[in-house]
Amino acid sequence: MNATLAAVLAILGLTLVKATPLIYAALGGVLSERAGVVNIGLEGILIAGAFTSVVVSGATGSPLLGALAGVLAGMLLAAILAYAATRLGVDQIVAGTGLNIAALAGAAFGLVLVYHQPGASHEVPAFGHTGEVVFIVLAFVVAAALQFVLTRTPWGLRVRACGEDPGAAESAGIDALKTRFRAVVIGGAIASLGGVYLSLAELDLYSDGMTAGRGFIALAAVIFGRWTPLGATGAALFFGFFAALQYSLQRAGVPSQLMQALPYLAALVALAGFAGRVRAPAADGIPYVRQ
Amino acid sequence: MIAALRKGALRDVVVVIVVVFGVGSIAMLLAHVSPLDGFGALFDGAFGTPEEVAETLVQATNLLFPALGIAIAFRAGLFNIGAEGQLILGGFAAGWLGAQFPLPPYLAVPMVLLAGALAGGAWGAIPGFLRARFGANEVIATLMLNVIAVLLTTYLVTGPLQQGGGGAAETAALPKAAQIPDLIALAADPHFTLAYLLTPFVVAIVLAFVLWRVLARTVFGYELRAAGEAPEAARRAGIDLGRTAFVAMALSGAIAGLGGATIVSGGLHRFNTGLSPGYGFIAIAVALVGNLDPRWIIVASIAFGMLQSGGIAMQAEAGVPREVVTLVTGLVIIALAGRRVVANRRST
Repeated sequence: MNATLAAVLAILGLTLVKATPLIYAALGGVLSERAGVVNIGLEGILIAGAFTSVVVSGATGSPLLGALAGVLAGMLLAAILAYAATRLGVDQIVAGTGLNIAALAGAAFGLVLVYHQPGASHEVPAFGHTGEVVFIVLAFVVAAALQFVLTRTPWGLRVRACGEDPGAAESAGIDALKTRFRAVVIGGAIASLGGVYLSLAELDLYSDGMTAGRGFIALAAVIFGRWTPLGATGAALFFGFFAALQYSLQRAGVPSQLMQALPYLAALVALAGFAGRVRAPAADGIPYVRQ
Repeated sequence: MIAALRKGALRDVVVVIVVVFGVGSIAMLLAHVSPLDGFGALFDGAFGTPEEVAETLVQATNLLFPALGIAIAFRAGLFNIGAEGQLILGGFAAGWLGAQFPLPPYLAVPMVLLAGALAGGAWGAIPGFLRARFGANEVIATLMLNVIAVLLTTYLVTGPLQQGGGGAAETAALPKAAQIPDLIALAADPHFTLAYLLTPFVVAIVLAFVLWRVLARTVFGYELRAAGEAPEAARRAGIDLGRTAFVAMALSGAIAGLGGATIVSGGLHRFNTGLSPGYGFIAIAVALVGNLDPRWIIVASIAFGMLQSGGIAMQAEAGVPREVVTLVTGLVIIALAGRRVVANRRST
């Protein structure tokens, strides 16, 4: 009986560990999409956060400075996407795809420049176990805060207005372009924490491919969570649970690839509307151009 | 030919050249390599010997198929980000069926290529169907299907369909009858035979011109472009947008899947999990640089094929990490995201 309890607790603990980076990334995605910008570049932002924080932590010896630098890097990438999407009217999907490709290759190139070896960095000062717990708790705090901000504050209302009908928002005196820009950049900051968590809290190094498509699972979580912070958090926990379960089920002979495919299949099902009505913000992904 | 350049296309070429050489030079300087040496090694590696020219054209071919598929979808106003998954699934179907059912040559090659096109087409048709029937966003659907394709084929060739020697994650080797000759073989043994008319490079170029004609001169091509450029007007004119979306996505996937099949039949001679180093993603850059016009996409694919094949030499000879090539490719995509596709979206 005790063994069963211990196994259940282990899976629940692992669920939190696996869900946390997804929660951060998904929350960043929710904020961005509620303002009307689809952030396909979440994967790239995770990579930027994970890589930059390791380099700076290694150079300064301070994981906190590393985390700060990681967040700044994520914001910079988000700002590039946001500027392109709001000011240049560039296609967000194409730009985000380019961002992911460039970030992955940039980090791989950076590894060779900084550590003179491909594949992985050295071990650097990291947050350790306590820090990991702080990151996990913080994820839920950010989720609750974002839910409150989006639904209960004037700024949240403005963000949502820009995601539903930027033209109407502008005629009500809201600067839709500025609001979108800020939402995407703040979303980038939140998402980058997921990357920092991966490299400096769960581990203490960066390795190529360590984000392993979590940015895409986060996009799935946004949809599955119906574009709300709490919903996306729930979806991330759900996906994290299956990631955790994978280790036990693999021992029982269930192929790991099929388990890994689950979040993606779930997102497809949600997209098709089989899991109840899902509706994206009306102006999600559509560039706004002032008349 | 100049007249064929769309408005702004010339500006795009300038942007691409600035990004490639500008960012490339900065990256090389960071790696303490003179850009002259770096780009010298790249060009030499891409065109130095007949074998290297052949490798460049093979890489160009591997990009050309998915880029043509992407262009068809984009022209219809659909963001097919899923060429990678469609190509992988096409390669898998070709490799598995080709090894499973040995047939005489005149049947084996068509079967292998058709299998690839059908598998890729089916994979593309899923998001097309979801879009047509439920209005589901095809971007997210194709992204998800990319990952599912990788996981599914990895599971199959490490599990139930693992046929490689020593437990390798691959299918059994294709019989000779199911193989098509590739240019690398021609460069190594320069005896031209009629079989080389089936070489993937030739097939891809013929396909590009066929698609150009279809887009420009057929009712189907017109409906596709109308759905992409002015969906509301197209709908009022009686064009079934759902049906067009479904057909465009299926065709787009079939072309990418055919590309996967030619990689298997022409080069690898089996399916393995290393089939594609991201051809389906790099092809987005190829399609954009080619201005979504099949004829110009041929030119763009050779330029990016050069970067792919020369990148290996650049790393080996000049010591510049070849990730620089991918980095530059990503930046090219960002730089060109501002064009023509935008018009399609705004009106939906």
